[in-house]
Amino acid sequence: MGIGPSTKETTLHHFRDPLLDVVANDKDVDLLGVVVVGTPQGNREKYYVGKRAAVLAESMRADGVILSVDGWGNSHVDYANTIEEIGKRNIPLVGLSFIGTQGKFVVTNKYMDTIVDFNKSPAGIETEVVGENNVSQLDCRKALAFLKLKMRGAK
Amino acid sequence: MGQETILRKLAIKSFHINDVAFGNQETIKSNIFTIDCQKNIELEQSEDLIEKITIDIIKPGDYDRYVNTIMDVIPISTKVLGDMGEGITHTVTGVYVMLTGVDADGRQMGEFGSSEGNLKEQMIFDRAGTPSKQDYIIHFDVILKGGLPFSRELPMAAHRACDRFIDGYRKILKQKNGREATETHEYFDRVRHGKKKVLIIKQIAGQGANYDNFIMPHEPSGVEGARSIIDLGNVPVIISPNEYRDGAIRAMT
Repeated sequence: MGIGPSTKETTLHHFRDPLLDVVANDKDVDLLGVVVVGTPQGNREKYYVGKRAAVLAESMRADGVILSVDGWGNSHVDYANTIEEIGKRNIPLVGLSFIGTQGKFVVTNKYMDTIVDFNKSPAGIETEVVGENNVSQLDCRKALAFLKLKMRGAK
Repeated sequence: MGQETILRKLAIKSFHINDVAFGNQETIKSNIFTIDCQKNIELEQSEDLIEKITIDIIKPGDYDRYVNTIMDVIPISTKVLGDMGEGITHTVTGVYVMLTGVDADGRQMGEFGSSEGNLKEQMIFDRAGTPSKQDYIIHFDVILKGGLPFSRELPMAAHRACDRFIDGYRKILKQKNGREATETHEYFDRVRHGKKKVLIIKQIAGQGANYDNFIMPHEPSGVEGARSIIDLGNVPVIISPNEYRDGAIRAMT
C-alpha cells in the first residue's frame, strides 16, 4: 500500500494544515519552513531523496524535525530511511504516521522511538473513508510536545 | 532573546457563501454563489480525455447519494496582490469543490483503494481536509474516456478541467472589494531569534497516476503553473510557511 483514501491529504487539508498551524503558532519555537519530499518507487531513489532531506535539515542547523507521512506500507520504507538519516546526524525527530493495526512498520531502526500514530478508525485500518485517518490539532500538539522534550535532552 | 523579525505578511480575506444555486452565468453576489448551468459542456470540450462532466450542488447534510471515488477536496482561492505567500489572497468559505472521477469502463480514478460509494459513509466531515456539515459542496464529477491504459494523463485531465471551473470564480474573486470580506486573517513568515529551530518535513506521494502532488501553482490550490513532485525527481523542496498556507500544494492523490 501507499496512500489509501483515508490517509490521503486533500488540497483543502494542505491549505489549512493543522501541523503548520500548531508549530507556527508556538512562541517557543522558530519554524524554519516546510520541506516536501516525494515517495519514489525504487529503493535507490527512496534512499536518495531521504538523504537529501536529512542533509537539508542539517544545513539549516535544525534543532528538531517533525516528519509526517501521508501513506504507509511501502511508503514506510522511505519514512524509516529518512528518519535514520536525520537520526545519524543527531537531530532530534518526532514522527507522525498512520499505524493502527494494519500499518505496522515494515522496516524499523533505532531512531524510530517517537512516532505519533494518527489512526482514527476503531479497527485501526485503511477504511477508504476520506478524512478519517488524517492528523488533527491534537496529534500535532502531541508531536510538538514530544519534540520539545527531545530537544531539551539533546546537547 | 525573544526578538522577532518579520520577513513577510500574507492576508487571507474570506468571503462567506450562504447559498449555492444554478443560473445563466457564474457569479458571486450577496453571499450567493451561482454556477453557470452550461459550464460543464464548455469544460468537457476543453479536454480530449474527458467524456462527460456533471456539476451538482450538495446542500449541507444532503449526503445520502452515490459518488465515484473522491479524488480531491479543493478550496476556491485567488491571488489579488503579490506572489504566493505574500500580499493578499481572497478565498470563499461555506463552499468547497469535491472532485470525483471514473472512466467510461467503470474504473475508479483511485490508486491504492478508492472511496466510491454512499457519500455519507465515504467521508468524515469537519476535518481539516473535508468540508464541515454546514458547508455546501460543489460536486464536480468527471467521466474519462474508456479503453485507455491507466496513466497519469487521465486524473490530470480531470484536475485541469476542475481547475478551469474554479478559474471562473478566481476572476470574480479578484474583483471583490476586500472591505466586504467576512473575515481577514494575517499570517507572517518570521524568525523567532534564540528559539529552537524546528523544521517540518512532509513525505508526500510521488509515484504516478493518482499518486502525485503539484507544487507551487500560479493560483492558490491550483494546477496551472505547478510542478509535479514526480517530475522534480521527488527531491526535497522547501516551502515557506506563508507559501504553504497560501495553497502551495495541489494534492493529486
